[in-house]
Amino acid sequence: MRNLLNFLIKYSTWFVFTFYVLISCILLVKTSENHYSVYLSSANAIGGTLYSTTSDISNYFNLVAVNQSLQESNARLENEVLNLRQQLSQYNVMAQDSSYQDLNKRFDYIGASVINNSTRHPRNHFTIDRGAADGIETGMGVVDQSGVVGIIDVTGKRTARVISLLNQNQHFSVKVKGTPYVGSLAWRGDDPTVAYMEEVPRHAKFHIGDTIVTSGYSTTFPEGIDIGTVMGKIKTSDDTFLVLKIHLASDFKTLGTVRVIKDALKHELDSIRSIGSYD
Amino acid sequence: MNKDIISYILLFVILVLVQVLLMNHIVLFNSAVCFIFIYFIIKLPINLSTNLLLTLGFILGLSVDVLSDTPGLNALTCTVLSVLKRPMFFAYEQHDDQKRNVSPSLGSMGLFNYCKYIFTLSAIFCIIIYFVEFINFIDIVDILIKAGASTLFTFLVILAVDSLVYRN
Repeated sequence: MRNLLNFLIKYSTWFVFTFYVLISCILLVKTSENHYSVYLSSANAIGGTLYSTTSDISNYFNLVAVNQSLQESNARLENEVLNLRQQLSQYNVMAQDSSYQDLNKRFDYIGASVINNSTRHPRNHFTIDRGAADGIETGMGVVDQSGVVGIIDVTGKRTARVISLLNQNQHFSVKVKGTPYVGSLAWRGDDPTVAYMEEVPRHAKFHIGDTIVTSGYSTTFPEGIDIGTVMGKIKTSDDTFLVLKIHLASDFKTLGTVRVIKDALKHELDSIRSIGSYD
Repeated sequence: MNKDIISYILLFVILVLVQVLLMNHIVLFNSAVCFIFIYFIIKLPINLSTNLLLTLGFILGLSVDVLSDTPGLNALTCTVLSVLKRPMFFAYEQHDDQKRNVSPSLGSMGLFNYCKYIFTLSAIFCIIIYFVEFINFIDIVDILIKAGASTLFTFLVILAVDSLVYRN
């Protein structure tokens, strides 16, 4: 017993070292899973307060840029409203006696501000100032004025952490706008303005500059939200699929205000999907 | 001694805050990041017991990790750095009992040796952290460029901070 104790004391440094390295490695490996404790993410109470306070201050510095982009998007939206109003008056009769009106209310948006952001890691996350108390749940999609930016990952009470589109572990189901060609959007860890659309069928037709939008196959994003534009195709060893290089629409370095998409049918659709087979 | 402990706690908090609020968001030329918080490990007294040094290093790394959403990454690197701190210090300094009680500084080591000491620790830190984080994703040249640029940036900022502190 005495010998054992002496041994433990003599080599305690090695035990302590191994212990800490093991904990670190477990944490490192667990990062690849999407769901782990909120206390280990920036959405915890301390991180939330810290980042909210500092972003309150730093937000003042880019008010000009934010203002400009808001004015631009406002102008665009006004145009869209005018167009839609025109169309609506034409479809009014049809809409009255159909059940489509319910579908219009399927998606709801919750506005939020980005309070902490990173683009330099291979698996990036950012934090927003809305949380479970505001109705945010894991798995909801997040968009900004230009397009898709991420998916909610961990929710705290008043903050939530979002898996950025710039995250190697996160893939998005996308398609070339106006065509049925669906692929999987992945980021490869280098350039924050470029992502790759993989698993595109070989016969897919596209042009450089075509818009890439969400496919709507999941409950995370409605169909047709912008993601980026095609820059060209890149060579792969795989003959059955194409890989397209995509220029992302959103500027991830200056994320300011975002909207979280709430799908009213999410639980219903997910439960139907989980029934799947009767095995 | 109590005064020392309080000043180290203050240093810890300030460095973590500066790292997560400021330095994490400054990326020069798309590759250079300043890891200013390792200044805490650099400054810890040389005669501190290795177990305590390791624990402090681990906690430091974990604090930065939690606040910047990189669980385990900085904790692992800081733990390894803490182990290597003493060997690196004595690689440039003689085993001298008079010097063993103080924290490494410009005054106690001399400019040249102190620069070598900071540079080595920064380099070790940057190389490990980029290898652990990126090894599967981008090629080795990119990793070395990022690590090299970050080492230089970290080294310069730490030296600048240190010379300000030393004058006081």
